[in-house]
Amino acid sequence: MSKIGITALVPPELIFACDCSPLDVNNFIPESRKYPRNKLCAWTAIWKEMLIQKEIRIESLIVVAGGDCHNALVDGQKVAMSGTRTHFFFYPFDGDAEYLESQLWRLSDFLGDIKNPDKFKEITNLKKLGQDMDKKRYNGKINPGEAFRILISSSDLQSDPDKFRKAISSIRENNIELNSRVALIGVPPIYHDFHDVAQSLDLAIVFDELPYEFIRHGGNNIREIARDYCNYTFARPLEFRINFLQKELEKRNIDGVIHYTQFACHHMLEDEVIRKELDYPVLTIQGDLPGKTPEQIKLRLEAFREALLRS
Amino acid sequence: MIGLDVGSTSAKRVTIEKGELKYNITSSQNWRDLVDGIDCDEIISTGYFRNSVPHRASVTEITAAIHGVRHYFPDIDVIVDIGGQDTKVIDIRKNNFMINDKCSAGTGAFLEFVANYFRLELVELGRLHMNAKRIPDINNTCGVFAISEMISQLVAGYSKEEVIAGMHHAFARRISFMIPDAEKIALIGGTVKNEGMVMALKDLLRKEIFIPPEPQIINALGALKYYS
Repeated sequence: MSKIGITALVPPELIFACDCSPLDVNNFIPESRKYPRNKLCAWTAIWKEMLIQKEIRIESLIVVAGGDCHNALVDGQKVAMSGTRTHFFFYPFDGDAEYLESQLWRLSDFLGDIKNPDKFKEITNLKKLGQDMDKKRYNGKINPGEAFRILISSSDLQSDPDKFRKAISSIRENNIELNSRVALIGVPPIYHDFHDVAQSLDLAIVFDELPYEFIRHGGNNIREIARDYCNYTFARPLEFRINFLQKELEKRNIDGVIHYTQFACHHMLEDEVIRKELDYPVLTIQGDLPGKTPEQIKLRLEAFREALLRS
Repeated sequence: MIGLDVGSTSAKRVTIEKGELKYNITSSQNWRDLVDGIDCDEIISTGYFRNSVPHRASVTEITAAIHGVRHYFPDIDVIVDIGGQDTKVIDIRKNNFMINDKCSAGTGAFLEFVANYFRLELVELGRLHMNAKRIPDINNTCGVFAISEMISQLVAGYSKEEVIAGMHHAFARRISFMIPDAEKIALIGGTVKNEGMVMALKDLLRKEIFIPPEPQIINALGALKYYS
């Protein structure tokens, strides 16, 4: 089965249906010790270098060039120039489902056409298990950190639906006390221990914005997935995303919001709008290179916990 | 019970005995001198090293600042804590805070660059500022490159006093970008003892500014009050 690198959310059901297996190249970044030579955002700069130096083994790469960032667009081209077969995938900003459907057909052509259409249903059902797990997390039945580890891996379903299913079924249910209920929005933190650190400081992360997008969308054929994925919030206008967030935060009974931003990432510019529009205490943090959560960030988390206790 | 603030550059100890506030200050490395003979159960710690020093309870500088400032000014809107290595802005009304610890241009370290260049003690900067007749524009936002700009202004004929005043204004401008719109603003931290910098900040903000009698011990006091 061909291993297909993806740089952001690309419908994994389509990749599996084309008898290929997705591999989210971002999964390698938080544990990486690389210091990329020419970087803006460390996420894209590191996968770019690892792909060019063949430290991540893939047959082809799908770069999300519309609905992600221009850093990915440029770094993806560098990977393409190094000889990796690359496809550029664009989400519509206006949510046009027909446009997205045409994009998905082009992607299907790039992957050699659909050979196993049953995979659409199989992956959709797997994602429902992910959604159940997410619900159990915000209802205090599953450890937030453990749930995050599964949710973040649902962009590529660990490259193997069976492995992903086993990972979900291995999670044990407990009664978890959720003191300060926190939503983590923005791109995922680049620090591999971030959720554990937050939990050790009594901040229970019960919503991870981007991983939730990974399990939220699906469908049984290209037409259906186009009509669902066109509402992928990161690709849509900020107002659309904020409306969606407000509903999720309310549903999860959130006490405060952590907005993680990445150095040199355009999402940083959204911070002032998010702070203005979301009626919750908001902690903004900014990361740069991967590794353990730095002490300065821990101070902010600790102070945020104290602030939530005051409110 | 004592409040102990061990920060990046200095350590402060505060006690309240029979209603009278007493304090001691030393360098961070010598914090042990402040707790000599004191049981750790008697210590409420704060500052960068809050969890590294013995303590009964610890609290972040953000919460400590709120409790410390309220001791003097109960209805303040915003606290600006200008420390040696970072600047914190706490919006008490919204229960929000911001910390700049990535860029030296808005921290005490920036003024140390200036003092070092002129081979002055930090405390002399404020006094020299008062003798400035003109204030040159210093626009660079990077602490290191602002020094180059400062040298250019010396070459252009501005006096040492005027260039120092220009640096205080550049410093204050940088901090003012972090401060939300508010009526009552308290300034704390050792850097606030520099009257030139405070004057520059007042010029820029044009709001009611409150400064406690010993601005550098507020977090130690706040740690103590937090637990009391």
